[in-house]
Amino acid sequence: MNEITPDKFEIRDYLRLDLMPHFMCPGCGHGIALRALLWAVHELGIDKDNLAIVSGIGCSGRVGAYIDANTYHVTHGRPLAFATGLKLARPDLKVIVITGDGDCLAIGGNHLIHACRRNLDITCLMLNNEVYGMTGGQVSPTTAETRLTTTTPAGNSEPAFDACKLAEAAGAGLVGREVTMQTPALRNLIKEGLAYEGFSFLEVMSDCTEIYGRKNDLGDSAEMVLAQKSDMRPEAYTNSAEQPFRPNRLVTGILARNDRPEYGDTYRRQAAALCGEGDDAA
Amino acid sequence: MSIETIAAEADAVTADALTRNVLIVGVGGQGVIMISKVLALLCQTQGLQVKQSEVHGMAKRGGVVFSHVRFGAKAGDPVWSPTIPMGEADVLIAMEWAEGVRWLPFLRADTGVFIADTQQVIPPFACRNRDFFAEPAYATETPSEIVGQVSDGFALDAGRMAEELGNARAANTILLGTLSASLDFPLDDWLSVLNQFVPKGTEEINRRAFLLGRDWVETPRENPAMPAPTPALPIARPGIDVRLEITRSWCKSCDICVKLCPERCLDLDDQQIVRLKDPDACTGCRICEWLCPDFAIAVHHETPERPHSA
Ligand code: SF4
Ligand code: SF4
Repeated sequence: MNEITPDKFEIRDYLRLDLMPHFMCPGCGHGIALRALLWAVHELGIDKDNLAIVSGIGCSGRVGAYIDANTYHVTHGRPLAFATGLKLARPDLKVIVITGDGDCLAIGGNHLIHACRRNLDITCLMLNNEVYGMTGGQVSPTTAETRLTTTTPAGNSEPAFDACKLAEAAGAGLVGREVTMQTPALRNLIKEGLAYEGFSFLEVMSDCTEIYGRKNDLGDSAEMVLAQKSDMRPEAYTNSAEQPFRPNRLVTGILARNDRPEYGDTYRRQAAALCGEGDDAA
Repeated sequence: MSIETIAAEADAVTADALTRNVLIVGVGGQGVIMISKVLALLCQTQGLQVKQSEVHGMAKRGGVVFSHVRFGAKAGDPVWSPTIPMGEADVLIAMEWAEGVRWLPFLRADTGVFIADTQQVIPPFACRNRDFFAEPAYATETPSEIVGQVSDGFALDAGRMAEELGNARAANTILLGTLSASLDFPLDDWLSVLNQFVPKGTEEINRRAFLLGRDWVETPRENPAMPAPTPALPIARPGIDVRLEITRSWCKSCDICVKLCPERCLDLDDQQIVRLKDPDACTGCRICEWLCPDFAIAVHHETPERPHSA
């Protein structure tokens, strides 16, 4: 072998091989998202020992378990809360939260807005497949209108959240979105998120092929992957005031930046100041 | 009268009337039409009857352009159709090598004169092979092969000759000069007609280009029929080596890689597990590797890889 790149990305180096193959259904987009995440970690040269993955409940929650790093599989909707504590206690760790649309926006919606507001240096990867897949396909906050799920047999009548606009409005430092089909672009976006000092919220459009795709007649796995493209508009910016809910066409890339002081830094300076005063008094 | 007799008589008429057929071919932007207009006007000034028809409008460089010029004595009213039948061109003049090869069947097998620029304009559809470092699929016939086949053949690198002269755009005038050596018209008439067509200020360089092409025919060469041309490109698959590592136990038969491989070189075997059906077609693009949700495919490049823009 005469590979030109000295350290080519080999995904096996980052997987818990004894757990493979993973439990996800055939064609599930979460696997592609996992590849992009590990690829980004590799390209940034992040040491596995310094990497902490926190994930919640659901299909997305299982994704973290396959990563050969420090991983936490925590209660439903609470990965951001756990990650906040972890990052404050161990600022030297690179903390990544892997969560899903239900975990992040419904059960953990409250934690999300406050994590955005705080701007602690965490990268939140929300894998959005528009459904609660693991529990049998119930409607989620991002299920598109008119879609069929087990709890919306006549078609969903609630508007879907635009998670990126929510995060932006709540003050997240960096907000971006990408589809799994554009794997290298997704890797680039995750790299930006990981390099960003502050809270980065990244929405990854993933496919639930077996439950959501089947119920809504969206075609086979390959067709669903290709359909992502027709939904996409690559120009990065739209005015978030225009539409509070997800527009028909997806805008991908970095959608918002809100550079503010990182919370952990501020917190530690305050703590040091307080301790310093205490020392003086003693 | 049988069909054969009619054909034979028609042949006789054509031969008697001495219609000359000149077919000029090339690609857009090379001056095919200019050559044919010069020739047509020259014929008119000589009192001949002339018909010219062309396909043009390939303004975007690369489109095929050709022009038929037929002329003969007015008295015999010999020029009926404006197009040259297959196998009846007295002169085939090609401004682009592959076009010359393509139109070869129009040339008279016994007496035809073949004049071609060895310049190659490689069209996008010749680059269908998307392998790294792949050579384009272009005419493989070498000038010496073709020149050896025809009764009288000239393959010259007019583009380079024109460049050396100081204006690459004069290549067509060089070929016109070469053509003039095969037709029986006075040199002064050629030059005066040419002057009416060339852009203002380029009369002198075009005159020199014309004479250069005309003299090229007479210049003694080691083997006039075999000038040193640009070597033809090989079509063999260049030495690239891509290896697909498939982890069979991880594949879940989702079909994503099979349907999204741009070269369609994967399929599922009888156990519904992915396999590389057509190893020669795989270009190593990595799309299957990126999109397999189960990490069942790893693409290894044994030859240096071009950096991905993505
Ligand atoms: S690398 Fe994969 S997707 Fe690309 S041509 Fe080869 S088999 Fe097809
Ligand atoms: S994409 Fe992966 S899991 Fe799906 S058929 Fe291809 S190799 Fe198998």
